[in-house]
Amino acid sequence: MAEDFDRILDECIDRINRGDGLADCLSDYPAYSAKLKPLLQSIHDIQKACTFVPSADAKRAARQKLHAAPVKRQPGTPVLSFFRVISTPAAWAMVAVLILAIVGTLMIQTVFNQPRLVPSSDGNFAFLISDDPGDIDDFEYLSVIISGVRMQRVGSNNWLELTPEIETVDLTQVQGEQFQEIWRGHVPAGQYTRVRVNISEVKGQLESTGQIIDIKVPSGTVHMLIPFEITADMVTVYTFDITVVRTANDGTYMLKLQINESGARQDPKLPG
Amino acid sequence: MSRSNRKSAPTINEHRIQLFALYEEYYDRIARYVYVHIGDREEAADIAGEVFLKALTSLKSYRERGVPMQGWLFRIAHNLTVDYVRKMNKRRPVPADSVVLLGNDDPAHMAEKNIAFDDVSEAMKQLTTEQRDVISLRFFGGLTSKEVGRTLGKSDGAVREMQRAALERLRRIMGVQT
Repeated sequence: MAEDFDRILDECIDRINRGDGLADCLSDYPAYSAKLKPLLQSIHDIQKACTFVPSADAKRAARQKLHAAPVKRQPGTPVLSFFRVISTPAAWAMVAVLILAIVGTLMIQTVFNQPRLVPSSDGNFAFLISDDPGDIDDFEYLSVIISGVRMQRVGSNNWLELTPEIETVDLTQVQGEQFQEIWRGHVPAGQYTRVRVNISEVKGQLESTGQIIDIKVPSGTVHMLIPFEITADMVTVYTFDITVVRTANDGTYMLKLQINESGARQDPKLPG
Repeated sequence: MSRSNRKSAPTINEHRIQLFALYEEYYDRIARYVYVHIGDREEAADIAGEVFLKALTSLKSYRERGVPMQGWLFRIAHNLTVDYVRKMNKRRPVPADSVVLLGNDDPAHMAEKNIAFDDVSEAMKQLTTEQRDVISLRFFGGLTSKEVGRTLGKSDGAVREMQRAALERLRRIMGVQT
C-alpha cells in the first residue's frame, strides 16, 4: 500500500513539474486525495518560495561563453613515467625504431601531404565564421562543428590544413556583423584559390517546437572558389559566411555558403 | 559477412552536441538548484554557466556508466555550490537569516518572498543529506525519480520512499494544514 502511495505521489510530482495543477492531480486519485493534498500543497509552497528564472541576458551570455570555449586537448603522458621506461635497453631499441618511423613519416608528409598550420595570436591570417540571417530565426541555437579548414595555393596540388581552435560555432550568435574567430596563426604568403571547410555535424533546436534536428551537409564540406592573397606584412582576415535556409519542398533545412558575404580582407598588423 | 550491430561508444563530439542541447533545457533548472542552496540570484546564474563550461572541459572524463548527462551536470553544480559556500564562509561568516535576495519587484513583495525563501531554507536544513539531495534534484532540478536514482546511485523505490518521507517532514515543519 505504502509503495502504491509512493508511486502515485511520484507521478503527481512529475505532473506538477510539467506544469499540471494540484486539483487535476487530486481529482485523478480521489481515494488518496486526503493524504496527497497536504504533500502536494507543500511542494507548491516550496516551489513558489524558490521561484527563480535567470534573465534572458544571463542565459545568452552563458551560452555564448559555452559555444566559444575551446575543448581541452588530451593530456600528455607524465614526464616521470617516460624517464622510467626510457632507462631500459629494450626501450632504447624501440626509440630508435620510433625515430626512424617519425623521420620517414615526416618525409612522406612533406612530399605528399598538406602541412598542418600552427596557430599563433600574432599570425598573418585569421579565419572567421559568420552567419547571413536566412532562416536562422527559426532556431533557438544552431551548432556547427567544424573539424578542419583546408586552403589550396595557386599552382599547387597540396592543401594547407588548419585545425580550428574553436570547433563549435552557434550560428544564432554570429548573425550579421557578428562573427566567431576560429583560428589565427601564420600562413605562408601567396595566392590561394580555394577554401574548403569540413563540417562534421550540424544540430539545432527549433524555436517553435523545441525539437532538436540534424542538418545534413552534403559530403560534409562547404567550399569557396574565389582567389585571395595572403601577405607576410598584413593580416588577412578570411570570413566564411554560412546561412541556414528552409527548403521549399519538404520544410527541412540546409546550410548554404553566402558567397557575397564571404571572402578575404587585409588589415594592418598591430605592433606587438 | 554480416556486419557487427554493436553500437560504438559516443564520441566526444556527440557528447558535446548533447551538452549544448541540454544547455537549453537545463540552464534554468541548474540556476534554480544553485539558487536554492546559496540564495543569490546573480551568483546562481553565473554558477549555472560555469557548470556547463566545466562540463565541456571535462567531457573526456564523462562516461555515461548509468549516470545520465543531466545528472552529471547536477553533480558538477553541487560541487561548485559547495565550493562557493565554502569560499563565502571563509571570506565572511554570514548568518543564514541575514541573506537578502535582490530583485526588481517592490520591496514589500520582495520581503515576503525572502521570508518564504528563508522558511523553506530552514526547513530543508532539517532533512537528512540524502533527503535534501532528492528534494533539490526533484523539485528544483526537475529530474524524474529514475534520473535522481541514477544520479545518486539509489533505486527508484528508495528515491520515492525518501521523497515521501522528506515531504511529510517538510509539511510538518512548514505547518501545512491537512
